[in-house]
Amino acid sequence: MRISDYIEQSFSNLWKKKLRTVLTIFGVMIGIGALVSMFSFGQGIQDNITNTFNELQLFNYVSVYPRSENNQTIPSSEQLNAPGQAGPHTQILDDAFIRDVTEIEGVESAFPEVRFPAMIRFNEEEKFSLVQVLPADICQSGLMKLRAGRPYSPADSNALIISDSLLRRMKVKEPETVIGQQIEISTLTVDLSLSNIPNIVSFLMGKGLPFSRQSYLFTIVGVTEKMGFAGPMPVRSDVFITPAESENMKKLSLTSIWDLFQSSQQAKGYSMVNIKLSSTKYIEPVKAKMEDRGFRTFALIDHLEEIKTGFIFMNMFLFAIGMIAITVAALGIINTMVMSILERYKEIGIMKAVGASDGDVKKIFFFESGAIGFLGGVLGLTLGWLVSMFINQIINYFMAKQGVPYMDYFSFRWWLVSGAIVFSVLISLAAGVYPTMRAARIDPVVALRHD
Amino acid sequence: MNSDSFVKTEDLTRIYSSGTIQVVALKDVSLSLDQGQFFGVTGASGSGKSTLMNLLAGLDRPSSGSIRVQGKLISELDKDELALYRRHQVGMIFQSFNLVSSYSALENVAFPLLFAGVAKKERTKRAAQILEKVGLYPRKDHRPFELSGGEQQRVAIARALINQPKILLADEPTGNLDSKTSSQIVQTLSELNKNQGLTVIMISHEETLLDQFADDVIHLRDGKVIQAERIR
Repeated sequence: MRISDYIEQSFSNLWKKKLRTVLTIFGVMIGIGALVSMFSFGQGIQDNITNTFNELQLFNYVSVYPRSENNQTIPSSEQLNAPGQAGPHTQILDDAFIRDVTEIEGVESAFPEVRFPAMIRFNEEEKFSLVQVLPADICQSGLMKLRAGRPYSPADSNALIISDSLLRRMKVKEPETVIGQQIEISTLTVDLSLSNIPNIVSFLMGKGLPFSRQSYLFTIVGVTEKMGFAGPMPVRSDVFITPAESENMKKLSLTSIWDLFQSSQQAKGYSMVNIKLSSTKYIEPVKAKMEDRGFRTFALIDHLEEIKTGFIFMNMFLFAIGMIAITVAALGIINTMVMSILERYKEIGIMKAVGASDGDVKKIFFFESGAIGFLGGVLGLTLGWLVSMFINQIINYFMAKQGVPYMDYFSFRWWLVSGAIVFSVLISLAAGVYPTMRAARIDPVVALRHD
Repeated sequence: MNSDSFVKTEDLTRIYSSGTIQVVALKDVSLSLDQGQFFGVTGASGSGKSTLMNLLAGLDRPSSGSIRVQGKLISELDKDELALYRRHQVGMIFQSFNLVSSYSALENVAFPLLFAGVAKKERTKRAAQILEKVGLYPRKDHRPFELSGGEQQRVAIARALINQPKILLADEPTGNLDSKTSSQIVQTLSELNKNQGLTVIMISHEETLLDQFADDVIHLRDGKVIQAERIR
């Protein structure tokens, strides 16, 4: 038999039992659709994260922290009871350290993580936020994705960058409109010294706060996108200003309640310094130097393997769900093929009587299950794609409300597209093995007598 | 017995076993046919007629004994060789016609050519020609249930002839037909035998038909040849 005849035969035979064929193909379509959308979701998330990391050069950063005395990352209760009890060997992350670090080969720049709480006031709306101090050169390095405006330069005075998610919370929908507008930042200051005792007493009695407010005016030069994920990133606030402006502000530099109590006792120093390297090849030497000096370090690239393993597990999980659907579809194919063979029992006898070999019979039915797989694969791919597009729109609709920029959460690669069809055909052929063997084994003498 | 007979069987035996029970369907049947003979086989039901036919058609294998066609040992062929033998050497017609019900007359006639690897255009052309010969070309697009019994059997004959076989095996071809149609069908077989030199082996329990057309007739009972007569 000719290949073209096998194909024609299989499609015309399937067409004779339209309803059954359509239902079986539906089963395959749902299975492949599920598998495809799961896979493209896994791939899409992976692409988004790794692309963003690469784009923002996050793999080029090393973060340096002071080492706590007992060298534990998770604070023990003992530590919590005695916060800020700096050990004799603890190094201090100060400006001298930063100048020092900048001299190391491969270091492009280093900046401390300084964040302070403030009230942000814009257009009659007032929101609480953490303001991060970020040097102009880092701001210009492309670490931040801007939606509107530009990064600030060292020449700018009173320049400020705000995230569009904060703007959204302040009921601003179009980030372009705020560029060049004035925004007010109010810092809180607290004085815990003896001279402020009456204030503290009234705070403890619930009659007021031991804070006073200082207001500063800034000009918005840029609007940044909020990233779709969180983590130990160099940039993780909604408002950014230059170090020069920060120095002129009276403020509490606290991010946790412990800072309130330790600030007077602990040696002055930054809680973290971010080092930007010109290339990932300097990560290890710089980390080693920092650790020699008694600091803890964190580099995202070290966690790349863990992230990848995480993706593999996620993909396996999604694959397992898709496989359940595929298995059910395969059972549907087996059922359909067995039914078809029982119905065409006599026809198989006739085939053999007029000269069909067992191989011919086998191939006829193999082509039929392959055709089911092919059609199911193509339709499943289409279904998976449509469902993914739909879900993508829904996710983006809700994410946009939180100020997360539009992202494709699904990724359709060529290997996914072709792989889905090939996989569907292979699964269908595998499902066709038993019915096909059965068809080939039919005894023509018995089949021809069959009515 | 002539050693270079066209079809020759020697001690052909077929035993069916189901569990511990053994049924001897055919026992030591030795036949010899010349090319171009019209050979009749008769006997009561269960006498082994169909078993003999299936063995000659290469649809079944003997338990012992041998079949030679043109000197070739058919009983020793493997499955694929048997398929080729059925495809090119023999054509079969049956009591119940055995047409594919979902195919048109033309498609049924062309069906064997599919397995012979003939291109579709050629298949249609040859099937149309042969339908023309049996006088059914005008009904080529009809499906079996739209045809009378006689028409169906003529479609089956056309199908049996499409690969230009040397032997035509007819298993009770008139069993489902009235007497007038029956004699028309056997007449057709006889003409093919006379005009084209086709060797015809026909099973029938209607001895009068065989006496009318066959050259030789054998009688089977309980799987054995009890009588062999030369009629003409």
